[in-house]
Amino acid sequence: MSQYKIIFTGPVGAGKTTAINAISDMPPIKTDAAASDMTKTRKNSTTVALDYGVMNLPGGEKLHLYGTPGQERFDFMWDILVNGGIGLVLLLDNTRSDPFVDMKFFLDTFQKFIGETAVAIGVTQMDLSDSPSIDDYHLQLQSYNVKCPIFAVDAREKSDVSLLVQALLYSLDPELEA
Amino acid sequence: MDNSSNPLRVALHGMDARSSKMMAMYLHGPCKGAAIVVANENADVDIFDADSVSGQQLLKDNRANASHRPTIALSLNALGYTDVIAVKKPVKTDDMLAALAKAKTQIQSVAETVRVNPSAGNARGGQANSAALAEKPVPVLKQYVLNRDDLNQASKHQAAMQLSEKSFGAFIGSVSGLDVNDPKQFHKAHYNPKDYFQGHVALAFAHCRLQGHEAQLNSGWIPLIIFPKSHEVWLDADDNPLRSFSGLAINKSLSNKIALVPLSPDLAKKEKTPEKFHSMDAFLWKIACWASKGRYPESLDINQPVYLKHWPNFTRLLVTPHALRIAALLVQGPRTLPNIAESLNIKPQYVFVFISAACALGLAGQAQRQVDTLVDLPEDKPSKNKGILGRILSKLLGR
Repeated sequence: MSQYKIIFTGPVGAGKTTAINAISDMPPIKTDAAASDMTKTRKNSTTVALDYGVMNLPGGEKLHLYGTPGQERFDFMWDILVNGGIGLVLLLDNTRSDPFVDMKFFLDTFQKFIGETAVAIGVTQMDLSDSPSIDDYHLQLQSYNVKCPIFAVDAREKSDVSLLVQALLYSLDPELEA
Repeated sequence: MDNSSNPLRVALHGMDARSSKMMAMYLHGPCKGAAIVVANENADVDIFDADSVSGQQLLKDNRANASHRPTIALSLNALGYTDVIAVKKPVKTDDMLAALAKAKTQIQSVAETVRVNPSAGNARGGQANSAALAEKPVPVLKQYVLNRDDLNQASKHQAAMQLSEKSFGAFIGSVSGLDVNDPKQFHKAHYNPKDYFQGHVALAFAHCRLQGHEAQLNSGWIPLIIFPKSHEVWLDADDNPLRSFSGLAINKSLSNKIALVPLSPDLAKKEKTPEKFHSMDAFLWKIACWASKGRYPESLDINQPVYLKHWPNFTRLLVTPHALRIAALLVQGPRTLPNIAESLNIKPQYVFVFISAACALGLAGQAQRQVDTLVDLPEDKPSKNKGILGRILSKLLGR
């Protein structure tokens, strides 16, 4: 059976784990803890740390939800992670000192993957900091020639995360029907 | 550098527990044990994540305290410290190993100085203690001054309501004697927003945004209080009466009662329940849907393409049936309204109501430039993952 996955990325604290938790059918697994146990008996191959959730689909298929480690930005694992991915959910924390720098970093890093699939951007913590606004993000995006969905998101709200993922899927194919 | 037999002892700063664990694994794995993570007081080298919330401030404090321990800073950007070993993100193993080697050289150099001049060693010990004191994290979040009102408002955003086709008729309403889905009646399936509450609210919003002052919009009904600085409105009414009022053509009957005036002292003092606050955009979007009742704004020529500037912020708006699909299609390039309905195989009323709301927020309009109508629309290619994507959608929509 085919394996499908959606990648959640963004800086640390942007809500990746929480977002995965919001739509996952099982509690998310933080594989960094598992890997640290594995390092007792194994070595380099265990240096992967990410969050994982799953959505059980009709017909027994599974959609895997992977969250990239946010802070370290080790590039060596990301190519492996996105391989076979359906699309990218980028979460940005609006209370960070310069969320546009974060956005640029992640869009640049995943440029190839986004070009082959699609990206949807969720901006979190907007209730604490309403600047930059969603319109400001759209203005910034003009220079990337990307017209992707950008939503204010509370990662704890299933409906917010669900809408963001729906928008990602419709970006891939507007004619999709449930 | 002899990595595993004599590893550098490093202290990590500006990293949470998870990131620290990750870094420890990275030093152990790809960096082949060139360094190990230890407690701050036992470290030879400091490593900072200068992009983290607390990292920048910790690094600044570290430099202010003139720590003699070699300092490595991981950052996306140049930091401007001459005495800090910078490693650009994304961190590459070769760069990290080079930074650790440089740090080791610095330590050896200091050790040589101490051997020649023992008093230098005491000074270094003192600095190590002050460096330990600098460990206290000082977050560099943006500054917020929250007053009571802010605290009340902090969690009052309303999650989007996604309307199904079944609930659309009852929620949005219809115009008697008009079948907006009949192509023969398209020419009369329009409305003038200025005849409705929508038009007056839109004008009031524009004025308040320009002036930057709070105001109240009197309309012969309940006054609408506008807070342009926080992009919010407050209305002491629930959705049901608001929907009814928004669907009335009030321009002729109430025109003499409609006025935008400074906020009265009584209303200013009145306690404002958080659940009756709305974002200005969400409010205008919603009342545009109710004014539209499935029609399109009369300013649009139904036979000419319309554009969508960008995706609406759907998580904070009323999501009408197929709105996401319409946005996804229209953001690719201008199309006529009937073409959108045909391409997506949906009732035209869903396109009309979406475009009415998007026009109200200034997100959509008639494509004026010749290039807009001449541009080739992307060919509709069936997605190779259509089946799985549809099943994911079903799951998300709970079907």
